[in-house]
Amino acid sequence: MIANLGSKIGQIAQRLFGSPPSPDEEQIERYPKQIRVLHWVTAATWVMLFITGLFLFVPQFGGGAVGGWSGLLHRIAAVVVVGWAIAYFMMKPKAAMEGILDAFKWGKEDLGWLMAAPYYYFFGQEEKMPPQGHMNTGQKIWWLTVLGAGALMVVTGALMWFFKGMISADAFLWASTFHSIGMAILLPFTILHVYLSVVHPKMRGIFWSMWGGMVSAKYAKSHHKKWYDEVKEG
Amino acid sequence: MELKRRDFLKVSSGAAGLFLLHPLSGLGKRPRAAADSSDMAMMVDVSKCVGCWWCYAACKQYNGLPNTVKPDPKQPPELTQDTWTTLVTPDAERFRKHACNHCTDAACVEVCPTGALYYHDLGFVAYDSSKCSGCGYCAEACPFGVPHLAGNKVTGISVMGKCTFCIDRVAAGQQTACSEACPNDAIKFGKRGELLQECSDRVNNIKADHPNAAVYGDKQLGGLHVLYVLDDKPSVYGLPENPEVPIAATVWQDVIQPIGWAAAALVVAGLGMNYLVARSRIKGDHE
Repeated sequence: MIANLGSKIGQIAQRLFGSPPSPDEEQIERYPKQIRVLHWVTAATWVMLFITGLFLFVPQFGGGAVGGWSGLLHRIAAVVVVGWAIAYFMMKPKAAMEGILDAFKWGKEDLGWLMAAPYYYFFGQEEKMPPQGHMNTGQKIWWLTVLGAGALMVVTGALMWFFKGMISADAFLWASTFHSIGMAILLPFTILHVYLSVVHPKMRGIFWSMWGGMVSAKYAKSHHKKWYDEVKEG
Repeated sequence: MELKRRDFLKVSSGAAGLFLLHPLSGLGKRPRAAADSSDMAMMVDVSKCVGCWWCYAACKQYNGLPNTVKPDPKQPPELTQDTWTTLVTPDAERFRKHACNHCTDAACVEVCPTGALYYHDLGFVAYDSSKCSGCGYCAEACPFGVPHLAGNKVTGISVMGKCTFCIDRVAAGQQTACSEACPNDAIKFGKRGELLQECSDRVNNIKADHPNAAVYGDKQLGGLHVLYVLDDKPSVYGLPENPEVPIAATVWQDVIQPIGWAAAALVVAGLGMNYLVARSRIKGDHE
């Protein structure tokens, strides 16, 4: 019965997110466990922060903020995600630092990627795509956005929460304005991120790399050639 | 490649729906261009105020707020979440009743995310505390420093309190509790147009002894619904010469929100188009 239910959920998940790499294929580890846990904690808290924040952002949803409970949930989610990120940094300072710095390593191939991307994502033309490292250019842009807008959210949020009354009224209002700007940046990018990991025909199934951590060697070779070569060379 | 009409409609209506979620900058919370002469208002005449604190006590009593003892005029109480009217004094001899000024162009209404603060048809800034989220934006935005919150700073669960213009009394055709209590005609309740006239008459009467005497609130922020007869410069009584709605208060809801929704809607529409094109052109790697 339970096994039945499990396979049913598995079927639904594959309908939604595409098929995971087949067990017969050669596979490579792409995301270690701590990264995946951090990713899903961030994803869950971001959804929570988004919904509870929306109550203050959209007057029609304002009813959800009455009594301040959405504000409390917003604060709890913020503490969980910031706390988790700090804990990860403490546990794996080297990997975390490398991961952050990866976003800032830009080269000639990134320009090539940007030029070729429209042809690739609309028409599947792979020929012009330069070989990519562990993160491709698009992922670097997303990662920079998360780091930058995330920092903006943490700083402006902390100003409004802990420094209320200490900072000037104008400073408070600008903090809330920039908190809104951060959200206006993160929302479209998040939609894009989910689309590319779940919906786009070229990426279909890649969702599972953030679930089980593995990608097929075939995928690694075609999407992240430089990284694939590095892994193979050891 | 084939674009199915139904798919196209789905994508575009989804994007349009997301954009329409944005409420066109808050329907029903737009300020009017200027206060109306038939609005209900109050006049506060500092030259007549004797500092008896009856307005303070009447406000506390009528609204069921604690601490009704007569305060020390040398150290008048500040406005708080449960003190909606008080007196400010430059010298413990002259007094100005200090409470919500019920602006026509009110920063607090502009920033209130839940509609707890709103414009009443009679012109004043009404407040429904049962809708308050405790966010505190109003307290930061008000150029007069009127709204105050009480609650927990860590959890953020708190509630704002301010003068409600005795909404139930005024809606029933009565005057406000403070104006009724005033024994010396220093607070007067009535139609804004008539009070304006009386304000300038009273200013003219005291102008000889007080060269700085002037009306305050006739023009500020589209016209206040508390009009002052001042015998001195506004700053003497803690009133800003040129109160303004802070820019950040308007940028947030009038600029950032529509841009944010437009960006999200554009991305959704763009991705929808991408999907329709890519689905027909690309054979999936993993399927």
